[in-house]
Amino acid sequence: MDSLKPVVSRRKFVEIFGAVSAMGATSMFVSGCGSTSSGSATDTITFGQGADPRGLDPAYVDDGESAKIMCNIYETLLCYDKSSCDIKPCLAKEYKISDDGLTYTLTLEQGVKFHDGTDFNAAAVKKSIERQLEPNRNDDMPYASFVFGTASKGDGVKTVEATDDHTVTITLAAASTPFLKNLAMVLASPIVSPTALDKNNGNLNEAPCGTGPYSFVSWSKGQNVVLKANDSYWNSDKKAKTKNVIFKFISENASRVTALNNGECDIIDGIDDTVVDTIKNAGNSLFDEDGMNINYMAYNTTSSIFSDVNARRAFSKAVDVATLVKSLYGDYASAATSVMPLWMAPYDKDVAQVAYDADAAKKELAALNITQVKCITYSNPRPYNTKGGQVLAEAIQGMLDKVGVKVNIDTYDWTTYKTKVQTEAYDICFYGWTGDNGDPDNFMNLLADSNVSMNVARYDNSAYKALIAEGLATPEGDARNDIYLQCEKMVADQAVWLPISHSKDLAGYNPKVKDFVIHPTGVVWLWGATKSA
Amino acid sequence: MSKYIVKRIAQSLLVLLGVSIIVFLIMRVFSPDPAPVVLGEHATEDSMKAWRDANGLNDPIPVQYWTFLTGALRGDLGTSYYTHSTVASEIASRFPATIELALVAIIIASAAGIALGVVSAVHKGTAIDATSMVLALVGVSMPIFWLGILLIILFAGMWHILPSGGRVDPLLQPTGGSGLYIIDTLFSGNFAALGNVLQHLILPALALSMYSMAIITRMTRSSMLDTLNEDYVRTARAKGLREKKVTKHHALRNAMLPVTTVIGLQLGSLLGGAVLTETVFAWPGIGKFTVECILKSDFPVVQGVVLLIGVIFVVINLVVDIIYAYLDPRIKYSKEEA
Repeated sequence: MDSLKPVVSRRKFVEIFGAVSAMGATSMFVSGCGSTSSGSATDTITFGQGADPRGLDPAYVDDGESAKIMCNIYETLLCYDKSSCDIKPCLAKEYKISDDGLTYTLTLEQGVKFHDGTDFNAAAVKKSIERQLEPNRNDDMPYASFVFGTASKGDGVKTVEATDDHTVTITLAAASTPFLKNLAMVLASPIVSPTALDKNNGNLNEAPCGTGPYSFVSWSKGQNVVLKANDSYWNSDKKAKTKNVIFKFISENASRVTALNNGECDIIDGIDDTVVDTIKNAGNSLFDEDGMNINYMAYNTTSSIFSDVNARRAFSKAVDVATLVKSLYGDYASAATSVMPLWMAPYDKDVAQVAYDADAAKKELAALNITQVKCITYSNPRPYNTKGGQVLAEAIQGMLDKVGVKVNIDTYDWTTYKTKVQTEAYDICFYGWTGDNGDPDNFMNLLADSNVSMNVARYDNSAYKALIAEGLATPEGDARNDIYLQCEKMVADQAVWLPISHSKDLAGYNPKVKDFVIHPTGVVWLWGATKSA
Repeated sequence: MSKYIVKRIAQSLLVLLGVSIIVFLIMRVFSPDPAPVVLGEHATEDSMKAWRDANGLNDPIPVQYWTFLTGALRGDLGTSYYTHSTVASEIASRFPATIELALVAIIIASAAGIALGVVSAVHKGTAIDATSMVLALVGVSMPIFWLGILLIILFAGMWHILPSGGRVDPLLQPTGGSGLYIIDTLFSGNFAALGNVLQHLILPALALSMYSMAIITRMTRSSMLDTLNEDYVRTARAKGLREKKVTKHHALRNAMLPVTTVIGLQLGSLLGGAVLTETVFAWPGIGKFTVECILKSDFPVVQGVVLLIGVIFVVINLVVDIIYAYLDPRIKYSKEEA
């Protein structure tokens, strides 16, 4: 201790420590009261969401939190209508498709600039797409193969050519009707500044630069992303009406609701029915519209029990789906009668699932000697099932108990579950799907996929696969609708899934905020939004 | 003393090596495969295999550990699987928030805890003592997330006088600097932002300080009661010193030794990230972030953060020991004692 010469005396040390402590504590309490926040200013709209974006480069992300922000910064060649997945021109003012469905010729808007001042032109489109095609594509681009396909496997984009400065020609390896809708997606499809790509080693996750109505200002990790109106935006119909937009990240649902009710946020999403009254009682409003999703129970069609279609149908008869949905989700989900929601595929109104009949179920299950089944499920709430998979599985367990079948449930967190559906031996499991692009192939293809993490029923039916392949290449219209109606009927007749519900998209908002759009694909367009005093 | 410090540093390095091995093994053995999470819903078996190969996850575990360890020694903790940002930058963007909250919470806890403990000891057996001890009991027993939600409901939800979460209004956010917003706003003279930062700090700091305050109160009281019965205190009183002076200069100074240790340990634990407080108050700190990364099997980030927390604990323990020696002249670091 002798070697340590005191700079201050011990007494002084204790006194200073005490004084600093007291000052700190006091300053905390005397600092000004009154909640000041950008949420109260009319030139700023604050959107509260549950998590940070994964990144802000459309090629490198796959999550909804990123998409909600990116759709205000970037634009796509084509875009969706406000309330449906119908296609409209955007950066491409018109397009032509060759008769064989392989060549897409897109005429681009002129006079458009990226936020960094770079001209938008055919070369920029070519660069944006080609970085996501083989051999440039890398494994960290989660939506590249979905949107642009894989030419080496015989589907997707073969070439992208800048025919002239304002014309782009995209050639596909095989005809694909959903490709047009893919071009409107916020994941992978947006056109990014080629200059920004060069400057940032080909990854714009933290330096997004598009042509959209808002430009990027800052991203404070774990806190917020700030955007500002793009004053030189090219399209007068979509020019930003509010100067600043802030995306705030609040992971806890209750805290997000309090932030809305306290005026710190103007719009919040990711809520469930339990907070609806709290939001309304505070004078805020509720946005609720049918979502593009399906919450389902899948039979493992390769298991010893459920490889038999009669066993699947008997089991389905024991589940009163309508009562189940009403009791679990109240008014914020509708009982599913088809794989696709009816608003998306109105022709599905004629599809009928196995009807509830507990007495018949009891007899048939006993005759088949089915006394117990193994079920795996997930614990976390999901966008299509806000109560989580365990709650749903337990409700169905109760119904099956009444007909003499014991359901043994194993529950996993979502990350583990995604591996378990590939590796575990199970008889039934719970899953769901949120649509990417509004195309029927995006839903119905799940049951034709060779990847078991997508096709958790492990359904392998060559007639069904042939229909899916036909639907992929058939142009939009009645003939295509009929193909997907046949798919739906086949899934219902074969009882591959037990479709449970389509949940609504819910958001709470300050009634002073008008004209924001929550699109069925889950993105939030804020350029038309205004906030009154 | 210097020999003692060198020896403690060597011990600390061994502790850190152990921490790195344990966290590495736990993540590799018990965490689910990160590939499906990182590559998303449209991943195929082929793409997942290629990704695992590219990230060395198909290598034997000792090889993977060696790669991690040699990287860490060079200061390269790797890159987040999920965000593609470097682990160092992910930590750097969140750690100042944790430091600021922890420091303010420990200041509140120390100031209130020492004051309550001293008052309680001096007035032992009175109503003041009983009230202080009830307060301490409540502080120890009350779950932080519950207290946090209660504070939010009262101050933000009902009275609308404080923000419910976050660090600062985004449009007032200080740029650059240390990342400690109080210091950044003070040095830049931006007092509007300083006020806003303090408003955002009050509730999470209060909630977080409650447990530490209770522990410090109890430790101060018990330590004060011991010293107030010491001979040298009786002597001081016999010499005719005023009771205030006896308490302040003779009893409190000596009672501070164990209290200092407790404060140090509490600070170390707070710097490790307060997951619940950060979650409830949307505080962008390292604790909540680490839990999110554990759930996503983002191995490099979890390993980096746990190693950092290990370093913090080890350093704080070392510093506390040195301060302890400084405050107590009786402590000598002879070979036997060390």
